[in-house]
Amino acid sequence: MFLAWSEIKKNKLRFLLITSILLLVSFLVFFLSGLANGLASMNREAIDTWNVDAVLLTEESDKSLYESALNKEVADELDAKETAVVSQMGAIANNGDTKQNVMLFGIDREEFIKPEVSEGDPTFYVQNGVVASDVLKDEGFKIGDTLELSSSDTELTIVGFTEKARFNASPILYMKLNDMQKIKFGDAYTMNKDVVNAVVVKDKDWDTLSLPDNTEIIETETFIENLPGYTEQNLTLTYMIYFLFVISAAIVAIFLYVLTVQKISMFGLMKAQGISSAYLARSVVAQTFILALIGVVLAFGLTLLAGSFLPNAVPIMFDIPTMILYGLILIVVAILGAVISVWTIIRIDPLEAIGG
Amino acid sequence: MVLELRNAKKTFGEGNTLVEAMKETNFLVERGELVAVIGPSGSGKSTFLTVAGGLQSPSEGQVIINGKELSQLNEKQRSKVRLQEIGFILQASNLVPFLTVDEQLELLNKVKKDNMSKDEQRKLYEDLGITKLHKNYPSDLSGGERQRVAIAKALFSKPSILLADEPTASLDSDRAFEVMELLRNETKSNQTATIVVTHDVRLIKYVDKVYKMTDGVLKLESTAEKDLGLTE
Repeated sequence: MFLAWSEIKKNKLRFLLITSILLLVSFLVFFLSGLANGLASMNREAIDTWNVDAVLLTEESDKSLYESALNKEVADELDAKETAVVSQMGAIANNGDTKQNVMLFGIDREEFIKPEVSEGDPTFYVQNGVVASDVLKDEGFKIGDTLELSSSDTELTIVGFTEKARFNASPILYMKLNDMQKIKFGDAYTMNKDVVNAVVVKDKDWDTLSLPDNTEIIETETFIENLPGYTEQNLTLTYMIYFLFVISAAIVAIFLYVLTVQKISMFGLMKAQGISSAYLARSVVAQTFILALIGVVLAFGLTLLAGSFLPNAVPIMFDIPTMILYGLILIVVAILGAVISVWTIIRIDPLEAIGG
Repeated sequence: MVLELRNAKKTFGEGNTLVEAMKETNFLVERGELVAVIGPSGSGKSTFLTVAGGLQSPSEGQVIINGKELSQLNEKQRSKVRLQEIGFILQASNLVPFLTVDEQLELLNKVKKDNMSKDEQRKLYEDLGITKLHKNYPSDLSGGERQRVAIAKALFSKPSILLADEPTASLDSDRAFEVMELLRNETKSNQTATIVVTHDVRLIKYVDKVYKMTDGVLKLESTAEKDLGLTE
């Protein structure tokens, strides 16, 4: 550490360059992880809030909520600890000033997935009243707003807001199941009033439940992974992050190798004096660790700072444990990047250094 | 006896390309003795120095340092012997460019125990006239100052053997004599066995014995300067 730190102190500019590069790569990794997290959250935060173990859908739906249609009585047929029925439809909501893509979720009054109202009427369960995702506030929606829907003449009224209520990247409007069914089925309401999209299940032993005909039950995580675009989007961002790990290892490897080659004669002289290859190798690794640590810690702070200035429209959500994990990975891959330099040091012949 | 070469020989290549860089050599240097090995470039002086310093093994024969036969040791053990027993002063400054004078010595403290104490270090600085330079980096020093720091570095670990390869090559005459005077003083006061490899015959007035290397053959030439016909 002594040799490593002494060199950094003496050659500040040289090491500032590599630290800056590591900082920028780390910043990008943290930012992308925040973005991946934020985008994932936009898709799943409502489901996560419900805290359910599994989802019952029709077999033909291919694990898609949108394509599934069940009679709500199947919820009673399932011998699960807790169940809730969900009816869903997409719509454009217009409050007179703003149009917004929304997801209507019809639920029963006593269901455990009933949203916690953070603002407005906590009972919310009124005729054509909706509790809206609080992200709509940023779009200019407020309590008391009358909403026109693109697909119906029925007008809805915002009676409250709730947090963490987005599904598949759209803000949710929670409302009474019956009201919802009327909007969804229109003239066919009477015939379809009991048709819902899914039954969500809260039961650790969900996989042992006997299922009604033509239905399948899937783990919540599988249900989320099958949301349109969710897995593709996550994989894209995850691969970008993985690729950045490789890039950071390559940058460190190239930079340290160039530095090591410049110092071959000095290392050779030190080895001639009896300083072991292990000590010199440890010094290079320690130097890499110091530079990577500084770069990662600064990037960590910078990312959080930058995040606080971003508009709410940017779907970014920092998960500190994930960021710490990625930070550690960055440090480890940087150290792996130093392996070539360590190998070079081990192979230096002290005899050549003193011209023997 | 501190350093001995017994029938040591160093060859490179084989068959028609065989080169005897150092022919069969017997050599002995005791504590408190300052020995010069002189000879023209390419005569095998550096090969002799690197064999004696355990940087390469002789093709035949033995190199014995304080009773340890180097050919019996692996590279790691030889490296340890170099660290414990030998101080190197090299033609090219062997200073680490990003360490101050103090840190050059501190580095040795990190890799080896039983170096000089703080008081001994202060005295060494005074003897070498580098007290005021202790916070300087090598790039801030003149050639003579760098060589004096290199000597301090070599002596700091209290070696029993000091190997100096052309230690005055980059210095003007006054500085060269100054460095030889220092080496002589340190050899006597610390009872070090010092070998100076040089092609500069003006320096031999400081040494106890002179060996001459010619075409790989090392011969004891004289124990006194006048015997070499170098003084009037």
